[in-house]
Amino acid sequence: MLKTDKTADNGKYIFVLEGRLDTNSAEKMEAELQPCMSDAKELIFDFEKLQYISSAGLRILLSAQKTMNRQGTMKILHVNETIMNIFEVTGFTDILTIE
Amino acid sequence: MPEKSISEMSGFEKAHYSMSSKIFRATLMGSIIPGLASLAIGLGLYTYVLVNRYISEAFNLSRSAAAIIENVENTELFADEVMTAYHSLSDSELEETGSEAYLQRFASLTKRQDYEMIRSIFYDLLESSDVDDLYLAMYDEKNSALVYMADADQETPLLPVEWEEVPLTEARKFLNYDDSGIVYDYNKTSKYGWICTAGVPVYRDSGEICAFVLADIRMDNVWNGMRFFLISFFIAMILMINLDAWLMTQHMKKTLVKPINDIAEAAHTYTKDKQAGAGVTDHFRNLDIRTGDELENLANVMSEMEKNLEEYEKKLTGITAEKERINTELELAARIQESMLPNEFPPFPDRTEFDVYAMMQPARTVGGDFYSFRLIDDDHLYLVIADVSGKGIPAALFMMACTIIMASNAMKMESPKKIIEDVNNAICSNNNEEMFVTIWLGILEISTGRLRAVNAGHEYPIVMHAGGNFEILKDPHGLVAGGMLHQKYEEYELQLEPGSKLFVYTDGIPEATDAGNVMFGTDRLLENLNQCRDGTAQQVIKRVEDGVAEFVGSTVQFDDMTMMCIEYKGKSL
Repeated sequence: MLKTDKTADNGKYIFVLEGRLDTNSAEKMEAELQPCMSDAKELIFDFEKLQYISSAGLRILLSAQKTMNRQGTMKILHVNETIMNIFEVTGFTDILTIE
Repeated sequence: MPEKSISEMSGFEKAHYSMSSKIFRATLMGSIIPGLASLAIGLGLYTYVLVNRYISEAFNLSRSAAAIIENVENTELFADEVMTAYHSLSDSELEETGSEAYLQRFASLTKRQDYEMIRSIFYDLLESSDVDDLYLAMYDEKNSALVYMADADQETPLLPVEWEEVPLTEARKFLNYDDSGIVYDYNKTSKYGWICTAGVPVYRDSGEICAFVLADIRMDNVWNGMRFFLISFFIAMILMINLDAWLMTQHMKKTLVKPINDIAEAAHTYTKDKQAGAGVTDHFRNLDIRTGDELENLANVMSEMEKNLEEYEKKLTGITAEKERINTELELAARIQESMLPNEFPPFPDRTEFDVYAMMQPARTVGGDFYSFRLIDDDHLYLVIADVSGKGIPAALFMMACTIIMASNAMKMESPKKIIEDVNNAICSNNNEEMFVTIWLGILEISTGRLRAVNAGHEYPIVMHAGGNFEILKDPHGLVAGGMLHQKYEEYELQLEPGSKLFVYTDGIPEATDAGNVMFGTDRLLENLNQCRDGTAQQVIKRVEDGVAEFVGSTVQFDDMTMMCIEYKGKSL
């Protein structure tokens, strides 16, 4: 299960995720992210409490990254080892800004 | 309802009868209380009227008698004679009233003509009425004695000067009579039980009272009347209540039981017809219930329900057919997908230089994983394993496109790098769904064991060099295919010496989870692989498959599981 906590401040959005971003929770995440994408200038994901990400979750990140490449910046914070591993394996480390 | 014995009746037919009898009983019970109440009120009224009638009859009779004797005879004179005789008696002599000697003493009075006259007038009057006794008497206040003068009693008349004790309180009503209304009194006698006495005074010419004409009515008459009333009323009441209950039952049968029965019957045949597979039915629609109450409403609602159910059924049949069609198509899709994956083993029975084995286990009917191996020419073996993001039909379609693009490029002898970059650009250029695919792709030069490969975001391959252990190969990684247009990928080379094995897989293997949500992981994967270092490609795959199955137990897996193992044996001598 996934818990999301969103803070918005004039085009800057911070999403704090907790749990698992997998096929089951991806739809919920997408629904929360969707309305922000029109005016987002800065998009930040805090993965400190995120345990796992599946290909459905990667798809959301990829889609968001593509959008933000056009209209602003996107950063991912506090990525744990498991997820970092997934990012490396899938080559996402090449396109994402991970801090 | 046709005539049937109880045993032949169905449940609701019995219910029909039991409901009628319930209504009958309820009506009976409901009528008993008001019946008894009306009995009590009727009896009271009847008694009141009866008593009043008797009293007024007695009073009127005594008044008539008084009027007649005042005119016909000199009653005053006779009365005075009797009273004179009475007053002549001493107290002790008075005590002997009723005795033979006492009566003998005044026998002369009974011989008088006026006495006879008065008596015969009283007889005549008495005979034509319900009054029991009519007599002339005077009250002696001193001794509280009622002194008889002439008594018309048929059986045991009291003779003149005979007296009875009557309390002054009772006598005073008569003594104080003022010629208005009716005067009467009740008292209990040993001879006749309760009697009611009414009467009027007879006056002297001077206006004083000289005697009373009194009429007795036995209350026995009233009791008898009451008893008669009670019995006849009771019988009539029972008959009326039963008739009422019967009528009520007939009415209820028509207005309540029959409609309910009709609805039940309709429901019964409806169910039967439906079980027999009838499509359109009109059991409730044909109900003709015009009671104008809740039952009519119920029948209408049931008819509406019948219609709605029909529509629903039609819709459901459509949905079921549609679902079946989709399922059939899905199965077909799965078979097509399966046929895309080489699944005849050994695939190249006449090639001794290498062995390859693979399997895919989709989480749903169709999967998003795929693998492939084919000979480009005699010396080159094309190997690929991939994992499309997402699952089911969309993933399968995406996978099909990728497979075809890559295979056709491979057959043109393109390099792995070129194949991946082409497929990436192809899918990126028209990828509204933002789907992507992780691919490991290699081309093995069979004669030398040289493998050229590209990894587009796929799991690390696992290599076992001849005589060594299975180890993860941290090969150069590129982004998943379909991620970014014009993405460049790095190609690398791997030398396989005879006796080496290469194991590639999708993330469904290390990410298989058990009931406690623990992942299988690469460590367990390596452990299983190393248990099977000397096995054939098929044995290696089987080992991992069993290892995963043991680990997850009965936990349902949400990801496809695919793996492929290549054993390089080299040129046979």
